[in-house]
Amino acid sequence: MIGRAGKAGGAGKAGRAGIAVFVLVMAALAPASAQTTPTGATLPRASDGKPDLTGVWQAFTTANYDLQDHAARLGVPAGQGVVEGNEIPYKPGALAKKQENARTRETNDPESKCFLLGVPRTMYAPFPFQIVYSPAYMAIFSEYAHTTRSVFMNSEHPEGPIEWFMGDSRGRWDGDTLVVDVRHFTDLTWFDRAGNYHSADLHVVERYSLVTPDHIQYEATIEDPAVYTRPWKISFVLYRRKEPNVRVLEYECYAYSEEEQVRRGELGPK
Amino acid sequence: MVTQVFRVSVASTVATALAWSLASVPVTGQEGGGGGGAGFRAAPVAGCPQISREFWPCAKAKAAAFNPPRNPDGTPNMNGAWNPITANGSQNIEDFAGDAFLGRQISIIVDPADGKVPYLPQWANKRQDNWDHYIDPIGSCFFTGVPRQIYGPRGQAFIQAPGIFAIVSEFAHQYRTIPIGNTPHIGDTLRLYMGDSRGRWEGNTLVVDTTNLTDRTWLSISGHFHSEALHVTERFTLVDADTILYETTLVDPKVFRQPWTMAMPLVRFEKGHEVWEEPCFESDHDLPFLLMEHKLWLGLNPPR
Repeated sequence: MIGRAGKAGGAGKAGRAGIAVFVLVMAALAPASAQTTPTGATLPRASDGKPDLTGVWQAFTTANYDLQDHAARLGVPAGQGVVEGNEIPYKPGALAKKQENARTRETNDPESKCFLLGVPRTMYAPFPFQIVYSPAYMAIFSEYAHTTRSVFMNSEHPEGPIEWFMGDSRGRWDGDTLVVDVRHFTDLTWFDRAGNYHSADLHVVERYSLVTPDHIQYEATIEDPAVYTRPWKISFVLYRRKEPNVRVLEYECYAYSEEEQVRRGELGPK
Repeated sequence: MVTQVFRVSVASTVATALAWSLASVPVTGQEGGGGGGAGFRAAPVAGCPQISREFWPCAKAKAAAFNPPRNPDGTPNMNGAWNPITANGSQNIEDFAGDAFLGRQISIIVDPADGKVPYLPQWANKRQDNWDHYIDPIGSCFFTGVPRQIYGPRGQAFIQAPGIFAIVSEFAHQYRTIPIGNTPHIGDTLRLYMGDSRGRWEGNTLVVDTTNLTDRTWLSISGHFHSEALHVTERFTLVDADTILYETTLVDPKVFRQPWTMAMPLVRFEKGHEVWEEPCFESDHDLPFLLMEHKLWLGLNPPR
C-alpha cells in the first residue's frame, strides 16, 4: 500500500510539472494580445473563455474622500485624483450644490446615513468586494452594508423610470474587456465625502480589463446632462486580495448605528 | 392599537410580497391569504406532496435516482432564481392555525417528528416573549442570518463559479458567498450576521457548514430564536431540473435540547426571473412606529 501511494504521488508530481511546462510553452507561443498579459502571465479564464474576474478585490485610492486631487488635512490623507484631467465639468450653478454638500457632509453624505453607496462609489469605497462571475450573471458583493450589485449579462435594461441605489447593471464583453452599462439611479447617492453628486439621470459605463491575473484596470464614464456639461471619466486599479484565507466580512453600518442609539437610550419604548 | 396596525402592516407587506412572488411560480400550490393551508394538498412539487414531512422522504428518494444537469466543471447546475414556496416568508416554522397577524402554516420541521423546535426547558416561553416585546430583526432591516436566508421573504438567486457558490437575496440586498472545498472557518471571535459558510459536494448534494453566527437574528417572524453558538448544516439537492430539496440542521446546545431539521422544496422561478435591488433600511419609515411599543432585538444578552 505504501509503495502504491508513493508511486501515485510521484505520478501526480510528474503530471503537474508537465502541465506547467505546457502552460509556459503555450504562453510563449501565443500572441500576447490573446492569451497573455504584458508580463507574460496567463489570465484565468471562465467556462465561456472570458477573463475570470471571480475573486476578492479592493481599490487603494483616496477617491472616497475626494475624486479630485486634494491636500491632506486632519483625518483626510492627501490624494491624487482619479478623474481624467482632474476636472468635473459641472454646469453653471451645479458647483454651488457640490460646495453646499461638502459643508453639510457630516449629516447629509449618504455614507454617513449608512445608505447604499451607489455606482461607482462602491468600487472605490475603502472596503473589499468579491466578484462571482458566471456567463449569464455576475455579482459584485461589497463588505459595506452587504451591498449586492447584480450584473445581468447580454440583456436589456428594464423600462424605466426605476430608482435604484445601485442602478441597473447590464454587462457585455468587448473582446477581453467587460463593459457594464448602468442606468436607473436615485439622486440619493454621492460620489465622495467632498460632496460630488449626480441626479437620477446618471448613466455610468464601466470597463473592467484584467491586465494581469491580479490587477483589473477599471474605468467609468459618467454622464448626467442635468448636472455636467459633458461626460467625464475616472480610472484606477483594482487589486486582488492575496491573503490565503481572505474573505469579505461585514460592515453592517445601519445595524451598528441603531444598536448605538439603543445604548444611548435614543431608540426604543419609553 | 398602534402596534396592532403596524404588525398588520408588516404582515400584509410580507403577504403581498409573497403573493407577488407566487404569481410567477410555475407550480401553484397555495391558495388564499398567504396561509400555508389546504392548498398544500392541491399541487405536488416534483411529484411529491408539498407538506414538509411528506415532501422530505419522497424528494430524497427521487433525488437519489436523478442525474442533474451539470456545470462545465461537473458540479450539479443550480444557477438560477429559487422560491421557497411553502415557507410563507418565514412567518412561522411550526404548525400554526393563523391569526390576525400571521398566516396559517404547516410545520416545515421534519425532525423531531412533532414538528416543534426542541427548546431547552428554560427557554419554553421565550418565543412568546420575543413576539410580545421585540421587533423581528428583519422588520428593522437587520439581516436574516442563516438558515432563514433561504426560506425568508422573496426569493434567492444562486450563482456558481468554480470554487464558489453565491446566494443573492432580494431582501435587503443581502448575500452569502460560500467557498467550495476544504477551507477552514474564520477565527472564532469574529461574529457575522450571515455567518461564515464553507461548502463541499457530497455526490450531487451541496453541503454547507455555517459557524461564526450572531444571536441577533431570528428564525421566523413569530420569534423563534437561537444563540451565537448556533451551528448550521444545509444540504441542497436537485430533485428535478426545477426543484431543490433544501434540508437544514440546527445545533445550538445553549438553546436547543437536540439537533433539529427543517426540509422544504425550493422551486425555480420562471426563466428570465431576475432578483432585483430591494433597499430596506434606505427606504424604511416604519421603525419609529414599531419602536413605540416594541424593542430592537439585540440578542439574548443585549448590550447595556
